[in-house]
Amino acid sequence: MASSWPVAQIRDLTVDYHGERGWTRAVDGVSLEIGNGEALGLAGESGSGKTTVAYTLLGERRGASRVGGQVLFRGRDILAMPAGELLSVRGRSIGFVPQNPMASLTPSMKVGGQVAEMLRFHAVETPQGVGARVVELLDSVGIPNPVAAARRYPHELSGGQQQRVAIAMALACRPDLVILDEPTTGLDVTTQKRILELLAALKRETAVSMLYVSHDLASLAQICERVAVMQKGRLVEVAHTSSLFADPRQEYTRDLIAAVPRLDRPPAGRIEAPPPRHAPNLLEIDRLAVSYARRPLFGLGKPPADADSVKGVSFAVQRGKTFALIGESGSGKSSIARAVAGLTRPRAGAIRFNGEALPALARQRSTLLRRKIQIIFQNPDSSLNPRKTVRSILARPLSMFSRLDAVAREARVIELLQAVRLDPAYADRRPHQLSGGERQRVAIARALAAEPELIICDEILSALDVSVQASVLQLLQTLQRERGLTYLFISHDLAVVRWFAQDIGVLRQGAFCELGDTETTLSAPKSPYTIQLLEAVPRIDAGPPPETQPA
Amino acid sequence: MAVSDSAAPSQKAGTVRRGAGLSASGWVGAAIILTYVFVALTGAWWAPFGASQILTGEPFAGASLQHPFGTDNLGRDVFSRVVLGTRPVLAMTFSATVLAVLAGGLIGVIFGYLRNWVDEVGMRVVDILISIPTLVLALLIISAVGNSLWLVVVTVAFLFTPRVARVARAATLGVVTNDYIAAALARGESTLSICLREILPNISGVMLVEFAIRSAFAIIFIGSLGFLGFGAPPPTPEWGLMINEARANAVNSLWPVLAPAGAMAVLVIGINLFADSLSRLIDRQGSAAVAK
Repeated sequence: MASSWPVAQIRDLTVDYHGERGWTRAVDGVSLEIGNGEALGLAGESGSGKTTVAYTLLGERRGASRVGGQVLFRGRDILAMPAGELLSVRGRSIGFVPQNPMASLTPSMKVGGQVAEMLRFHAVETPQGVGARVVELLDSVGIPNPVAAARRYPHELSGGQQQRVAIAMALACRPDLVILDEPTTGLDVTTQKRILELLAALKRETAVSMLYVSHDLASLAQICERVAVMQKGRLVEVAHTSSLFADPRQEYTRDLIAAVPRLDRPPAGRIEAPPPRHAPNLLEIDRLAVSYARRPLFGLGKPPADADSVKGVSFAVQRGKTFALIGESGSGKSSIARAVAGLTRPRAGAIRFNGEALPALARQRSTLLRRKIQIIFQNPDSSLNPRKTVRSILARPLSMFSRLDAVAREARVIELLQAVRLDPAYADRRPHQLSGGERQRVAIARALAAEPELIICDEILSALDVSVQASVLQLLQTLQRERGLTYLFISHDLAVVRWFAQDIGVLRQGAFCELGDTETTLSAPKSPYTIQLLEAVPRIDAGPPPETQPA
Repeated sequence: MAVSDSAAPSQKAGTVRRGAGLSASGWVGAAIILTYVFVALTGAWWAPFGASQILTGEPFAGASLQHPFGTDNLGRDVFSRVVLGTRPVLAMTFSATVLAVLAGGLIGVIFGYLRNWVDEVGMRVVDILISIPTLVLALLIISAVGNSLWLVVVTVAFLFTPRVARVARAATLGVVTNDYIAAALARGESTLSICLREILPNISGVMLVEFAIRSAFAIIFIGSLGFLGFGAPPPTPEWGLMINEARANAVNSLWPVLAPAGAMAVLVIGINLFADSLSRLIDRQGSAAVAK
């Protein structure tokens, strides 16, 4: 597939979107080039325009937009191509791996059929037969037992396997270029590591060029020869991966790199305030078991004991400290959070708060207990009612838990917004008028409104950009120091927890495989699973792949 | 932190499509509805003749300047009767639909939120009610209890309630999985408070569209009851009843049949145009809000 043209050239690309206030420039004068067999990383925060740039390579104009400049694929302008020609390039010569495979695979069609459709639509020659080629493709992306997997529906596969199927579809027609839009964002750390390894191997074997879009600099570092950094629609910096991380030229790139949580050194601006060595226990969990299994006898019988998603877990959280629950999806960490918050009735076990037994459900608890235990959810899109203003979101817990009059309540709302470092003018906005990080700050303010002692943070960083994560984490530490808060911090990210939590429990399939203080646990892990998790944390300085010579 | 988290929404906000208002056909529908409401409110002052004033002209007269829609078998002015009939038709439709949407909405939201055995049993009852042919059930109720205007309203509301409840429940199911419901639960809000404060504002758009569609059905349904003689008693200028009275004499003049039928059809089409455009508008706003 050698050609005198580079695979893709983007020349002075501008994209404008039409919104309520006229045209907004989303991409502003971006020029990039992807060489043969090269992987280019495109980094930036959400809203930086990186996905928009990637989509123009597929000839896709999203919504009401105006596109200027040139996007050349092998010297032909994709933006000027007639629709028929574009269809034959898309999928055939340019593959695409979307962010969320669950949403992009057709749920009612077997995965083998979906891969075969790619081959048939583009009339790709398969000497061995379409079915055999599908199995070969599924095998090449590392799906175990590909013959059986081809006959499965997407929901019967795990998230990692779904993403592998999406990669197989993108590679089915042996394209020159594959565009990957945040392909590992929704996946567990260990799964993410395996997908990254797969991509690196595929790149070596097939010499396909890649445009890898991600906000995660660490995973870009493992795949890409060069990385381009975007901010607010502009290209900030393009450099070879090793030199970009070793010696970033631009201030913005430096901040972005500094915000990546690392195991080997604390984040910049970390607040060092070691709480007293042995504080009394605020929260004690005793042999807690949670089950979502269907109860026999039409829901009247007892759930079977062997179907527990949390299997008799015991731990204690000391006042004023942070206890981190670590685990992958399905490990039961969120079930523990929901049980403590009174949203799920445990099958067995006891939860004690300040030495007193907690009633199972929030409605059975006293107002005081409900006030003292607050929960912040993973996704602020879902945890804030879209029809309410920030003011009414914050005022509701105030009117439930305190006897403030309207004037005092308004003052408290302003105070809370300031406490989470938001402009008081935001009180009149609705959630969709805020960015993801701002929304999560509102969710934190809502928890603070109750003046709690314990805040359960259920994966509160995972829906946020890396740099936003860093600022939210810093906010949580400041609040802890100012108000003596205790956190039950649930996360899948060891690098975040490493410098934030004093104690840690590593959950696997509903039981602890490691429990102790963070320092000793992570410096000398005993369980092989913890070691595996530690190794899966992407590292910026892990050394990028060897630079390939342009063919 | 030099990297701020305030820049994000610009791109996503930019993808909101143009034309935030109703579509052209939606405006036509709205204009039709407003015209009918205007006629219903003011018709009594400017209708040329009274509703039961007989021999205003020759019986079965054709359209003329004095009688735009002609006259019926008793020489009553059809135009005046259609105009004066607007008020009872709109009033009955409106009250029946309001009752149905309120009752059905509350039932649907509570069932959808609870999702326990109450919901299981309640929805089966709803299924049973929906499976009975509406007209047969309505005739049964009215002939058993009696014949009056308010009974027609209550009967229509009763028949529509389970259908509205289904829609409200389906809309609620899409809302209850959100974490703000869990947050309200953890805060200790009561079931009614969660239904009214957290769920209802998020399904109000769906309920509004349901209200518009149900009103169109209600007009036809009340008209059918009137036609069959189970609605308003004879002197009332109710459209369905008028069609029935004029039907026997259709050979002599078609005006007394066509005028009320046309009035009913135009109103129903107007409401449907408006409802259609409204639901599209709400879908668009909903997806814009969800897509950040």
